[in-house]
This record gives sequence, C-alpha cells and structure tokens, in this order.
Amino acid sequence: MSSHASSASAPEAYPGLGEVPELIRLGRTLRGAALGALVLGALLLLTGAGQGGARLWGNLLVAGVNLTHVGLGGLFIVAVTRLTSGRWSDPILAAPHAMPRVLPWALGVLLLLWFGAATLYPWARPDAASDHLLHLRMAWLNKPFFWGRIVAYFALWIFLGRLMLQRKLFTAPYVVAFAATFSLASFDWIMSLEPAWYSTIFAIYGFAGMFLQAIALVSISAVALRRFGLLPQGVQKTPNHDLGKLMFAFSAFWAYIWLSQFLLIWYANIPEEIGPVKLMLTGPWAPLYYLNLVLNFALPFHLMLNRKAKQHERMLLWAAGIVLAGHWLDLYLLVFPPLTGGAAPKLGLPELGGILLTLGLGHLAVWPRLTSKKETA
Amino acid sequence: MAKNSSRIFRALQELLRSSRSRRTAGMAERPELLRSDFADPEELLKAVRKLRALGVPVLETYTPFPIHGMDEALSERPSRLPWVTGLLGLLGVSGAVALQVWTSAVDYPLVIGGKPLISIPAFIPVMFESTVLVAGLGTVATLFALTKLRPRLKVPDLHLGANDDRFVLVAAMGHGHTFDSLTALLAEHGAIDTVRLLKDARGEDTSARWEREVPLPLAMAAILAPAALILGLGSALNRDFRRRGLEFDAGMMYPVAAQAYDPSAVLKGGQVLHAPPAGTVARNQAPALRFGPGVEEAVRAGLELRNPLEPTPANLARGQVVWTRICATCHGEGGKGDGGVIPRFPNPPNLMIPKYEAYTEGRIFHVATFGGPEKIMKPLGDHLSSDDRWRAAMHLKGLISEAAKARAKTAAAGAPAAATPAQAPASAPPPGAKP
Repeated sequence: MSSHASSASAPEAYPGLGEVPELIRLGRTLRGAALGALVLGALLLLTGAGQGGARLWGNLLVAGVNLTHVGLGGLFIVAVTRLTSGRWSDPILAAPHAMPRVLPWALGVLLLLWFGAATLYPWARPDAASDHLLHLRMAWLNKPFFWGRIVAYFALWIFLGRLMLQRKLFTAPYVVAFAATFSLASFDWIMSLEPAWYSTIFAIYGFAGMFLQAIALVSISAVALRRFGLLPQGVQKTPNHDLGKLMFAFSAFWAYIWLSQFLLIWYANIPEEIGPVKLMLTGPWAPLYYLNLVLNFALPFHLMLNRKAKQHERMLLWAAGIVLAGHWLDLYLLVFPPLTGGAAPKLGLPELGGILLTLGLGHLAVWPRLTSKKETA
Repeated sequence: MAKNSSRIFRALQELLRSSRSRRTAGMAERPELLRSDFADPEELLKAVRKLRALGVPVLETYTPFPIHGMDEALSERPSRLPWVTGLLGLLGVSGAVALQVWTSAVDYPLVIGGKPLISIPAFIPVMFESTVLVAGLGTVATLFALTKLRPRLKVPDLHLGANDDRFVLVAAMGHGHTFDSLTALLAEHGAIDTVRLLKDARGEDTSARWEREVPLPLAMAAILAPAALILGLGSALNRDFRRRGLEFDAGMMYPVAAQAYDPSAVLKGGQVLHAPPAGTVARNQAPALRFGPGVEEAVRAGLELRNPLEPTPANLARGQVVWTRICATCHGEGGKGDGGVIPRFPNPPNLMIPKYEAYTEGRIFHVATFGGPEKIMKPLGDHLSSDDRWRAAMHLKGLISEAAKARAKTAAAGAPAAATPAQAPASAPPPGAKP
C-alpha cells in the first residue's frame, strides 16, 4: 500500500563494489589495514606469553568469544526480524547477513586455546583429579569432550545458520538450537574458568551483551552502507531511529540482566557464589566493574534517550562505538579475574593485541560479503 | 472539592496545551471549518504540509492508524509529553527511594541479611518498577487529558470512515483562502471529498457538538463507581469464603497437604493425639508439674521444688546462653531490668535488689514456667524445656547471689554496724520437696 515499504521489501539489487572505483580503493586500504592489525595484534599478543601465558591465552579467549558473538549476533538479528515479520530492517540486512562469516575464524581462535588449556582452565590442569569438586565435574569438563563440543557447536551454527539464511523454514529451528547451544557454550567457555562458581542466568547475560553488540555493529554498518552508497536500489534512508530504539532498549535489557545476576548473589551473600562479586566490588577491579556499567548501560541508554539523537547518524555511531568497547570490557571482566587470582588488572600491549586481532579478523571476514552484489533476502 | 479538582485539571490542560490548540483557542469566534477525506496516508501527510505552508490552520487529522511524521507536520513545536513522562519518572524513582529509606532506615530500622539499612542495590527493583509504573500510567493519563479523550455524550459523526479506510483532516478557512480554492488545492493532492462543516439536519452546529463533553465529575464517577462497587461488595462478602466455595484459587490460600492438627478421620471424635494410659510416662516427657499458676502456687513452689540439676560447668554455661537469648531481652544481661526491648514494653523490676534474695530457684522456675505475678511476663513453659528453665533459674540465682555479696561487701566497708545478712538461700530449700 505505501510506497516505501514495497521498495524496501526487495533488496536483491545492490550497486556492488565493481561499479564504484572509490570503493575498490577504500576496500584495498581497509584490507591492508586489517591485515596489518591482524599481524600486529598477533605479535602484541605474543608479548603476553610470559608470566605463565595467562594474558596471551586470556586475550585469545576474549577475542574468540567476541568473534563468536559477532557471528551469532548477525544470525540472531536475521532470525528475529524474520520471526517477527519485521520489514524495517530490510534496507540494512546486508550487515547481519555478512556477520556470520566470522564464525569459522572464531572457531580457529577457540581451537588454538587447546594449547593454553592448562593456563586457562583449572579442570585441564594435571592435578585437577585430586580436587574433589573438579573431579566431580570432569565427566563434562575434559579436554577431548570440551573441544569436541566446540567443533559441534560451530558445525551447528555454521551449517544450520547458512541453511537459515537461505530458507525461511529453518528460522525457528535455528533459534531453538541456538538458545540451547549458546547457553552451553557460555557455561563451557567462560563459567568453567571458575568451575566451582555458577550462575544460572549466565547464558542470558552473555546473550544480552551479544545482542546489544550486534545491534551496535548493524548500526555502524548501516551508516557505512548509506555513506558508501551500498543500500538496495530505491532506498535512501536507513532505519536509524529503529536501530537507536533497539540499542536503547537492549542496553536497558543488558542492565536488567546484569542486575538480576548481581542482586541475587550480592543479597544472598553465600560463600560458594559471592567470591567473584566480592573481588569485583572491593578489590582493584572495582573501577573497571563500574566502567562496564557505564559503557554498556549508562552511556548508550542516555545517549539514545532522545528521539532526535536516535535519528542522528553521528550520535548513533558514538553510542555504537561505546557499546563495542563496553562488550569487550564485559568479556574481559568475565575472563580475567579468575586468571589473575585476585591480583590487580593489567591493561597493556597483549590486550591491545587481542583487540587488533578481533578487529582485523572481523573486517577481513565481513567486508567482502558486506560489499558484494549477492542477493540477501 | 469536585470543582477544585476540575480547576486543577483545567490548569494542567492549560499548562500543557500545545501551540496548535493554543492558536485555535485564541481565536475570537469559531472559524468556518472544512473536512477533507483522503484514501492514502502519504497524500494526507503531503496535503497537511502544503496547507500549513500556506498558512491554513490544520486543526486535526483522523486516521485509522498513527502516521509517521504527522506530529511534526501538524505543529512546529514538538510534543511536550516526553517531558511529562520524564518528570513522572523522576517522581516515581524519588518516591521509591524515599519510601524505602523511610521504612527501612527511619521508621523501623531492621538489619536484614547483614546489609546496611540504606542499601541501594536492594532498592533498585522497587525503584525501577515504580519509575515505570508512575511514568507509564501518568503518561497515559496526561495524554487522555491533553487530547480530551474523555467520555462524550455523543460520538462525533465528523470522521466516519476514519477508523476504517479514510484519512481525514479538518482545517479552518479564512486567511484569504476560500472554500473553493482550498477544495481545488486539496483535490490536487488527492482528496476524494471536501465538504464544509456546517449544520446538521436538526440545525445544530456539528462542529460544536463534537466538542461537548461529559462533565468531569460525572466522568470520574463513571470511572470510580465500578471500583467502589467492587470494593464495597468485597467487604460485604468478606466472610468465610471457604464454606461458600467462592475463592478463586484455593490452592494458593490453603495448603493442600494434610495438617498436623486437622481432625483425624480414624479416631473417635476426630481426636488426633491420645493421652498416655493412666500410670505411664512417655519417653522424654517430663513428669507432670503439680503446681498451678498464681502467686500462692509460686510461693509453694519456692518452698517445695528444688533444682534437679547439678551446677556443673555445662549446666551453668547453658543457663547463661538461655538467659542471654531469652530472658535478657527484657531483664537485661545483668538482670537489672534494662534489656534491649524494654523501651517498648513495661520495665521488668530490677532483680538485683534485696527483695529477691529470698527467691529460691524453685520459685524462679515457677515464674519461668507460668509467667510473672503481674501477668506481664508471659509463661515460657511451652517454649523452653524444663531443663533449660532450671538452668536459667540457676544462672539468675547466681547473679542474685553475686549482687548480694557485692552489697554486703560495700555495706561492711561503709557502715560495719548496719551489716545485713546477705546469705544466699539458694541451695537451702526445705528437704522433702520433689519436683
């Protein structure tokens, strides 16, 4: 009935890279920069190999989980807009379609962790069997099964995800399978860093951060697509207002889940749960702990509160950038406190290396698909 | 009262009225109006923009669904509703903070879970819910007030089809624009039909009729009457709902499991517990105490009862624990009647005065079992085991003896002539008394 909806529903024709010489040049520059970031990131990561290698393997874990979140976030946005018959996202679907391309790279990074297992995971250490609590968990947490599960999760995400991108029929099954496997993966990769500690809301917490980051990434790429003239033909505007609303809503959702986890542990204050929270609240980690709330909740929430701000491209970019930084910090705070055993956080070259590695891999995986002419819907 | 609230309501309306309505309200007489129907929302939006650009006041649009951009097209000033929402949200959050700080730190300070009295994380859920509730309900109420969405006596027939497939605008003529020129202009923009809003068949001014509202008190009565009726009926029917079978969720109100003191279906008369047969004593059951309540009985107990427990270190330690946990709340750690709870209750007497030196452990035991002579102290026979009452009595007797000794010492030092015998008659009850 209305004119803009009909033109937006058929995003099959992209201008594509081949027709815009400037874009080819930009693509080459970005590719070079990404390769440089990748190499430099790997070198910087290696500087963390000293001191038992905790900073090398910890940052590699953060990078692997972050890349997984990027890929799964793209798939989830496609799935959820389809399940809700949402057409607002049609002009910018190229980004969530391209994001799953990082999943094989994420798998590679996580497979590398095999060599650092003993540094990261207490249950992978040679003396683990002598600890009663760890011994009880070793049926699930042992090296072959653990990495076997990683491969199985990724096989499912990559193949079912590709199937879903091609056929709408697989959307709902994918979401169900995703919910189950994402929960298990969160428990596996991060919660088992402290095998005796547990939180049943942990997977939803990870999901909230993942989805928030995915919205931020889609916002950034929507702006990029518009500026590079890569929107589907007949579309001039990107749904900035809707993306801003989603970012606003899901930063509140993230804070809601964060508080749901924190409040119960803090209030009950029982010995088997309180350890990590107490470390965060009282130790040298406290500033980073509160900064996490600011980056993931306070700043994006208040930046995106105003209606005009949601429609404003630069404000949207700012909020999205803050969310990306916040998600990295969120993962850092999940991974590193158990590794350092309560010592003060050290932010330096290995952390920078991990971030550069994530950016480089992410760009190399996503950019070609983002700018290709291929049909998406 | 109603008049007053109505005035407040109008003042609020006045305060929050958008520039659009203020402009129309400022006009001396009602201008001639026209109504124009469209079939396409985009065309309506363009027509509204065009009319506004020409300086023709567009009063309102009636559409089956909200049209994006219509807000901005109808008025150059953005809606002030978000500010109301923001203020109400602040009201909600500060109200929740004030309520929780007042209840948990000022009015009834109670340490819960070892947390500080004002512990913000614990307040957050209520702060959050109250913010959302106040801001949400308040925004809807303000919206209704601003748009005059109140019950009307007659539904306006102005916008037939506007809840189906027509997109209608109402504009004022004048300012050099005639009906004919505007009709032509609107037709260019896709208007299906443009008519004057004149008088209806009965000669009433149509445009005036759809402004007529139900008076506010009547509207409020219509809203509040059902609630009042329900509440009134609720209290009228507030009886034993179990017997009437009227409760809506029995499983939540009454436990499904069998209760220990429900009448037995097996024994005669629904009896649950049998008294032991005559001449027998159940295991762990203390023999019946052959004393009743009352001061005479207490005196008799003081003479006849003696402590069956030896003053071993274990018994003395347990006596101190029982005293500290149970008795000291009112009587105070040292028995001086200065326990933590007494500001809210009548003070118990100071037990460290000479009057109580004559009290034997048997009499103290009687008081612990049946309560104090003034009936202020409650009987603890059902709460404490017989042995614990004896141990507490042992502890109190020790306290009294120490106080008496200290008194004797000061008396001997200060005035040797006036020495009073301060022997403790604790362990000298008359022989033959059996508990």
